[in-house]
Amino acid sequence: MKRLLFPLLFIICLLLSPAARATVWTAENLPMVHLQDARRYVCNPDCVLSASAVDSIDAILYRLEQTKGVETIVVVVKQVADGDCYTLGMNLARKYGVGNKEQNSGLIVILSTEDRRYYILTGTGMEGTLPDAICKRIETRVMVPRLKEGDWDGAMTEGIKAINSYIEGDESLKAMEKDDDLDVGISGLILLVAFIFLFAFLLTYANMSHCPKCGKRAYRRTAEKYLYTRDGWDYFQVVTACYKCGYSTSKIVRRRHEDDDDGLLTGAVLGSMMGRGSSGWSGGGFGGGSFGGGSFGGGGAGGGF
Amino acid sequence: MKLSKTLKIIIAIVVVAVLLIGCGSSQYNGMVPSEEKVTTAWSNVENQYQRRADLIPNLVSTVKGYAAHEENTFKEVVEARAKATQVTIDPTNMTPEKLKEFQAAQGELGSALGKLIAISENYPELKANQNFLELQAQLEGTENRINEARRLYNEAAQDYNVTIRQFPGVIFARLFGFQTKTKFEAAEGAQNAPKVEF
Repeated sequence: MKRLLFPLLFIICLLLSPAARATVWTAENLPMVHLQDARRYVCNPDCVLSASAVDSIDAILYRLEQTKGVETIVVVVKQVADGDCYTLGMNLARKYGVGNKEQNSGLIVILSTEDRRYYILTGTGMEGTLPDAICKRIETRVMVPRLKEGDWDGAMTEGIKAINSYIEGDESLKAMEKDDDLDVGISGLILLVAFIFLFAFLLTYANMSHCPKCGKRAYRRTAEKYLYTRDGWDYFQVVTACYKCGYSTSKIVRRRHEDDDDGLLTGAVLGSMMGRGSSGWSGGGFGGGSFGGGSFGGGGAGGGF
Repeated sequence: MKLSKTLKIIIAIVVVAVLLIGCGSSQYNGMVPSEEKVTTAWSNVENQYQRRADLIPNLVSTVKGYAAHEENTFKEVVEARAKATQVTIDPTNMTPEKLKEFQAAQGELGSALGKLIAISENYPELKANQNFLELQAQLEGTENRINEARRLYNEAAQDYNVTIRQFPGVIFARLFGFQTKTKFEAAEGAQNAPKVEF
């Protein structure tokens, strides 16, 4: 009996593990990519959409947010809780406050492929731009024919394009005053520079020792000149000076040829840190996005296919 | 320094009065915005019901174009609409009975509308009509808006009720005549939503 227990437990664990079956997504467990990266809007955890479709939708929606202040979430999954896209959308809206607060210009588009349901949810400020009837029209004319063929990429990209053209036609929507990206960028840059300065300061301070003449901690190596290499030793002339009293000494030091010298090591560490900083900067350089706290009143339209 | 007995009493009364007024006014000032929120939420509920009522003439005329002989259903919808639009409630003077009446009238309209949508199932041409599809989408959206507005109203009413029933607020609420607000019953709301039966 005992021998059977472990394999049995293992099998039960396997069956219960989320990898064994498709996740049923709710507002609680759906990862919100926009919060990690301000330029991304498409939640595609089941990889229903291709990367290129996600990219082109992201590009459209980023421009839409910049020019019209419309904050969007696109959710494309295999299954949603109870097969109810509307409830998922409203819960997401409540949880994250999609849309900026002044315009209430939030927009949520959901497609659940295995439930065969979709929904376009409009924020209270978007109901004039995208009335329910227009949402329905976009769905029935643009999305549903493609959805019926299983062309998820086409349905979503064309659907978003159609929504985009309606929103662009509305002059009343304005870009947000606050540029989130720039804010994050500048503060990030300042932080990085401050960090480098702090690091450099600490390094110099650590390199200083007490001056033999005045006793202040201001005695540091000011110059180092390579002289020659002999018998596997590098010979250097090192000048050490106190910047408080001006007392200085000069001496010849030798180091093993293959050994890295202090200064070089320091440079390498600092260099690599800066390198890491800057590569992080260009790679994931745009900080996480945020939502403005807009409200949804239940507008929009959805259906099945 | 010795104070006379009367002076001591006067000082005590003044201190108590100042405390009471201070406490009372802060309580009162907390209740007013809370009540205003309920009023706003209620007017939003009525707006959304009105929005549904406004959709009906269009919907009826569209359906009539395809299903002219469903006279009874049309009549029922139009009557229910007339009745529902007559029942309005002043949010400052809301009683459970009035809310029940309001809900009953709206519920009747809801089920009449459900029937109207249901008959479209018998008319394939109507079902495929783009205008009808969009009207139907608007109706569904409006039902969702009604539910959301009711939810927000219930939340506001609950906040307000908690404020005026907690101690020491309850004393001042009685004093200033703040009354608890009635909330929507969820069960009846679910029953009202138009269902398309197959």
